[in-house]
Amino acid sequence: MPAPEVHHLFHYPIADHSFSADRQTLAVARESNVDIYQRAGGKFQLKDELKGHDKTVTSVDIAPNSGKIVTCSQDRNAYVWEPSPEGGWKPTLVLLRINRAATFVRWAPSETKFAVGSGARLIPVCYFEEEDNWWVSKHLKKPIRSTITCVSWHPNSVLLAAGSTDGHARVFSSFVKGVDARPEPSAWGERLPFNTVCGEFLNKTAGWVHSVAFSPSGNALAFAAHDSSLTVVYPSAPEQPPRAVVSISMQLLPFMSIVWTKEDEIVAAGYDCEAYRLQGDESGWQLAGSLESKGRPGVQDHREESALNMFRQMDLKGKASADDTKLKTVHQNTINTVRSYEENGGTVSKISTSGVDGRVVVWTL
Amino acid sequence: MATLNWRTINIDALDPDSPANFDLSTLTPDVASASTADVQSLAGQIRQLLRAGDNEGALQGALENPPYGADERGKDIHLATVIEILQSIRQSEMSPILSRIYSAPGGTEALDVLMKYIYKGMAQSNTANTAKTMTPQATGFSQIHARGGGEGGGQAMSVLLSWHEKLVEIAGPGCIVRVMTDRRTV
Repeated sequence: MPAPEVHHLFHYPIADHSFSADRQTLAVARESNVDIYQRAGGKFQLKDELKGHDKTVTSVDIAPNSGKIVTCSQDRNAYVWEPSPEGGWKPTLVLLRINRAATFVRWAPSETKFAVGSGARLIPVCYFEEEDNWWVSKHLKKPIRSTITCVSWHPNSVLLAAGSTDGHARVFSSFVKGVDARPEPSAWGERLPFNTVCGEFLNKTAGWVHSVAFSPSGNALAFAAHDSSLTVVYPSAPEQPPRAVVSISMQLLPFMSIVWTKEDEIVAAGYDCEAYRLQGDESGWQLAGSLESKGRPGVQDHREESALNMFRQMDLKGKASADDTKLKTVHQNTINTVRSYEENGGTVSKISTSGVDGRVVVWTL
Repeated sequence: MATLNWRTINIDALDPDSPANFDLSTLTPDVASASTADVQSLAGQIRQLLRAGDNEGALQGALENPPYGADERGKDIHLATVIEILQSIRQSEMSPILSRIYSAPGGTEALDVLMKYIYKGMAQSNTANTAKTMTPQATGFSQIHARGGGEGGGQAMSVLLSWHEKLVEIAGPGCIVRVMTDRRTV
């Protein structure tokens, strides 16, 4: 396995990151701005700053085909940013109509819609109104009881999964007339008017759900919660109890973000500061190990020769370990986001992670 | 209108969508209700196992049937039962028993329950101590007395601490996080 590609961008937490489809552009949420980085050789260089939000930006997503960037923030707003002809980016305000912070945003695979998680116990599903030249939203409301922490789109762009601090992971229909084509019937449902609840799942301890994800085919749903558990749901037929619900509790700290790499593999990362691989199917899931091999040479041993280091070494004489403030993992703090970076024929071959330590890391699986 | 103090208006009562108007029990997992008598008879069965020398069976039995749905009294009875079992197991036996429970089906669940009781036990022996020896003094250093005093409480605490250490070795920090997260309390 090749060594991971580490980009230490700055000393601020990264709430979310997103790569463009050609992987040359990287958008990271840094405080109340979004920084746009451009790849230059092996490095990323700051190219633009998207300024518009006046509170912490919580999520950012680049649409792979159109290249439009959507951002949302604790200031209860979302913006769609498009490249303007005279260079730079032009923001368009989205009418979310929420009275609490926006927490999470993702484009639908069709790129005609996006969904925003919010603290107002609802999910605005936003789409472009041609007539008014305006992004408007419809609210998914029932039966959400608390803040939405994460959303994930089904490949058909109609079904939407959402995880909430009320401990439930839910699957909704976000069918908008005139925007979506009628979806093929699936195990989740046949007729899908807006706000149909196609599934509602509670984990054993009712812990906060941190991350939800549909499998590549859309026929399974995984969610990770604050009780250090990962639950995978396999639906059977519309209005029927699911075929299988597999839940595993881990010895590790909770996962903050998960991504499916194949139909039978998930990569998850969180408070343990490293990414883990999990494998399984309907009969059961298990932890298959960490993505990094501990004590890998070349990463920790790399230390610059400087006067500062010389004096530091003298100062540390007699201590058992000279560098006990550094974690043995690549990320030095909680990982917030795990995303697919490169895919080959339905299998994710590279993933990217970002975290509180200001690093974005690309891993080869 | 001028006489109405608008800061004291309970706006949640006026907003039908307010979370204060939810039935909060729908957010928590289903728990079977258990009466105090049920808990007492379970405690009796477990004591019998304990008297027969089957410490492990007693521990397993106690952890498999936590009375989530019982009232405070029932929960206290079960806590006393669990603490009694924990105190009757020797230090050298702790790790082997824990790893056997862990590898059994539903083992992580049982160990999570054990962790809940360990924390609850610690909380209890603390309050017992402070209630006994808290003497408000002019200096304000009353906590020092609370920590040093109460020989019995201190011993119970050391048993719980060594269980805690052994348990984290086997069930990992995930077990602690689950206890903090879980809405089913013991």
